Amino acid sequence: MYVGQAIRRREDERFLRGRGRFVEDITLDQPIAHAAFVRSPHAHAAVTHVDTAQAAAMPGVLAVLTGADWTAAGHGEAEGVWPVKDMSGADSRTAYRPLICVDGVVRCVGEIVAMVVAEDRHQALDAAEAIEVAYEEKPANTITAGALDPDIPLVHPAFGTNEVMVTEHGLKEETEAALANAHHVTEVVVPTNRVTAASMEPRAYLGHYDRVNDRYTVWTTNQAPHIVRRYFTKSLHIPEHKLRVIAPDVGGGFGMKLYHYPEEGLVLWGAIVCDRPVRWVGTRSECLLGDTHARDHHTVGRMGFDENGKILGVKFETLAAFGAYESQWQASITNAYHFTMLSLAYDIPAIHTQVRAVYTNATPVDAYRGAGRPEAVYQVERMIENGAQEMGIDPLELRARNLIPPEKFPYQTALGITYDSGDPPVLMGKIKALADYDALRAEQARLRAEGQWMGIGISAFFDMAGAGPVKMMNDLGAKVGCYDVASVRVHPDGRITVFAGSHSHGQGHETTWSQIAADRLGCDIDHIDLVEGDTDRVPMGIGTWGSRSLSTAGMAVYTAADRVVAKAKRMAAHMMECAPEDLDLADGEFTVKGTDRKLSFAAVANASYHSGDRPSDLEIGLEETSFFDPADCTYPSAIHLCVVLVDPETCAVTLRNYWAVDDVGTVINPMVLHGQVHGGLVQGIGQALMEECAYDAESGQYLSGTFMDYAIPHAEDVPSFGLDAHFTRALGNPLGAKGAGESGTIGAPACICNGVIDALWHLGVRQITQPMTPKKIWRAIEDAKRTQH
Amino acid sequence: MYPFTYHRPASLDDAKARLSASEDGRPLAGGMSLLPTMRFRLTSCADLVDLNGIEALAGIERGDGHVRIGAMTRHAAVVESPEVGEAIPALAALAGSIGDVQVRNRGTIGGSICFADPAADYPAGLLGLGATVNTDRRAIAADDFFTGLYETALEDGEIVVSVDFPVPARAGWAKFGNQASRFAVVAVMVSLSGGSVRLAVTGARSHVFRVPEMEQALAGDFSAEAMDGIAVSSEGLNEDLHADKDYRAHLIGVMAKRAVRDALAQ
Repeated sequence: MYVGQAIRRREDERFLRGRGRFVEDITLDQPIAHAAFVRSPHAHAAVTHVDTAQAAAMPGVLAVLTGADWTAAGHGEAEGVWPVKDMSGADSRTAYRPLICVDGVVRCVGEIVAMVVAEDRHQALDAAEAIEVAYEEKPANTITAGALDPDIPLVHPAFGTNEVMVTEHGLKEETEAALANAHHVTEVVVPTNRVTAASMEPRAYLGHYDRVNDRYTVWTTNQAPHIVRRYFTKSLHIPEHKLRVIAPDVGGGFGMKLYHYPEEGLVLWGAIVCDRPVRWVGTRSECLLGDTHARDHHTVGRMGFDENGKILGVKFETLAAFGAYESQWQASITNAYHFTMLSLAYDIPAIHTQVRAVYTNATPVDAYRGAGRPEAVYQVERMIENGAQEMGIDPLELRARNLIPPEKFPYQTALGITYDSGDPPVLMGKIKALADYDALRAEQARLRAEGQWMGIGISAFFDMAGAGPVKMMNDLGAKVGCYDVASVRVHPDGRITVFAGSHSHGQGHETTWSQIAADRLGCDIDHIDLVEGDTDRVPMGIGTWGSRSLSTAGMAVYTAADRVVAKAKRMAAHMMECAPEDLDLADGEFTVKGTDRKLSFAAVANASYHSGDRPSDLEIGLEETSFFDPADCTYPSAIHLCVVLVDPETCAVTLRNYWAVDDVGTVINPMVLHGQVHGGLVQGIGQALMEECAYDAESGQYLSGTFMDYAIPHAEDVPSFGLDAHFTRALGNPLGAKGAGESGTIGAPACICNGVIDALWHLGVRQITQPMTPKKIWRAIEDAKRTQH
Repeated sequence: MYPFTYHRPASLDDAKARLSASEDGRPLAGGMSLLPTMRFRLTSCADLVDLNGIEALAGIERGDGHVRIGAMTRHAAVVESPEVGEAIPALAALAGSIGDVQVRNRGTIGGSICFADPAADYPAGLLGLGATVNTDRRAIAADDFFTGLYETALEDGEIVVSVDFPVPARAGWAKFGNQASRFAVVAVMVSLSGGSVRLAVTGARSHVFRVPEMEQALAGDFSAEAMDGIAVSSEGLNEDLHADKDYRAHLIGVMAKRAVRDALAQ
């Protein structure tokens, strides 16, 4: 059995030796031209004039294109994959992110106004600088909290408001009653900071038009090439059968590379106009500004407890930033992944949440690893932490009293989602032992007496992973079917190629999909190759996002492999003159049960293609495809616990210990699982302690444009993680596997921030906005001192 | 990056000649600051005169009562130098706190002080240790060298050749780095030499500065506690994403004490 083994990643050979093939590495017969973009320097301005004459005459320039050219060509926009306007009954105001400014108004810094295509990158940049754009600045707002205040500038004046839509979920009256009758009510304002994925490989695109065959090709840093193909029908109106989308090796996606970005459409447009392949590779600064941002909720929450610390009800009012435009998957956060998960791992009888999505003059917000669930966990867990502290109940004990007991599974939350399986009390018991919790509390008391500030943070949650099923996700707003696809092709020599609609940009599918297929096919893992990321080679696909690929594409591999085995058994049975049911397949051989009669899988494969002696109703060939629509989402759960030390002089935070106990169902490869958890935790540490896409409140200028100011964790910021696991089987797929990609980012921000608050509670500090930087911690302590004196 | 002509002279005289022959020439040292600004198209020049081929500009030697560090000496060489480690360990600590391994293997002391970034570490080292900057035409005291934001006393075409650091009785270094760049939010070099104290702060204003009240208190009693009650005014201090001026003022007090404790521990 390969499943369950920590097999070394087969793809790492090429990555570790620098032999990966990324968009920037692609070479073509024709010389590749380069694109450069003129971007708005203003947060909000009318574009009164664009003069391209000088640029067009510069050396090497092949084309200078503007929004007027885009409109004249009749091109469209990047419509929503998960749009707000299709939510049943919800009134909404949609303005999709344009590929290039077409209406004479720029609404955030970085919006593209013009494109230059030139022979080389420097010529393109020189010409872009020579384009004269006249702007008339307009008042701008980048702050989510105030976006609906009366005097705030409107991002889209035609709507008459900055509000995109309002959604409400849960039990309103029951929640109000629970809060009214509670023994204790905690209220906290919990904004979730705006961050961005900052993937190692910046976004890059290469567009090519083959005029002879009338075929288009785009190489893209994308997680879901078939969805890119689908949305080129909306932007450049290219029929799906005319377009090949290739997502080769991609260096990190995290949800951020899921979209049909402006530059992607524009390079193919440039290639068509210039009759030359055109490439753009983003600089780090362009990407920190133009990659979708994430989170940016402003939430006020109230949580009611009885005298024993049992949670009776919780109510949230959230302003959720969309940024200047609605990005393609934006509503998957507000309408599907945030509200659904607000019960976390707790048995909460009454929850009510209202989300008002708002436009601001900032980069569009969309999904990033966790997408709505980090916000939900942070919002709920900050309430629980403060409630426990205020009531004088040990924070772990209060959580333990509220966990969903195993006998309540399947558990339907107050928001209507049903968790299929889990056992939170076991996770809590494991993490308590792993961390030696009681000893930590004793150490905390001892250090506090010595003037040292130690804090213990906890978070406990469920994730909704593995989107679909198709119907459920359609009902939640998805305009793409959330299944996935795999084909298993057995070659005549018995070797196998697996084609999957998922895309690996760090996940290790070449290893894990092969583990699944090898077990089902009873073959050596080295006899299997995987093909992903090419719409001409893979029949269909929905791509890799939302911790979905194992329970969709992985299960399609599983199912297609089983179909191959069933067909091969019929051929083998014919050749061995027995019944298919009498055959076993293992180690590359069919054997007749209870005998020593054998026939190799390769011989059966060869006969399947080349022998006329076969059952009369058996079609030639040995290849099967499965479109797998899962029976349910998967609901992985986890509990995290950390220790932070806050320097009483500088207020710098040291994350000393971090433990996580995950329930992800059946594990395919524990090493890959740990890699997923580690990476997510580090990104969660960033969200908690340092990362922030910051705008100047006055001018709307973007302040986090380089890694000199956008702080991501360094190795020295990260402790060695203590991980453990407990497995309950998922009910919605045959392997019992749950998603595992997002646990770290979902749980860590709340866990770490609770730790910081726990360290400072005795000083009177009750809340600090994320990220909890030394500057803000120092200010919070100073404010607390002033309040107390 | 805009186009430029690249020069790689092998001698200081050749470098001076090429710089003086150019309307718009710039010397290139380690390139850890200049090259990124050129790549960002924030800076350009007609002629880039690379000093990396001039062997005489690099090296560390112990003189009479001082350590001389050549302008093209890499930070990593300062970190590893037995002469610096023995005479002024705080200076080795400063060099070791700059950037990351790659930056320390390329960046030079001359490049750092000529660029005069408000958050650079070496300016505090020079001012806090009372160093002298030797150029191709004169010697400039550290007190006179740093004159403003990215500004120094250097004249057009003047090239830094070396820096002389007097060997103090004690010296200490303390740095609080910004979470993103790891540049100093506030860093302090303090030194004690024959009863006189120098305490220099970088990262907090347009350029490095001394804190006379702290120096006076430490001259009488070289201990962290001697600075109790000395509050640094936040007026005129830098404000950015990572620290406002009040927090920076607070950090100056904290880092000054840590620098003194560091000096006393050596």
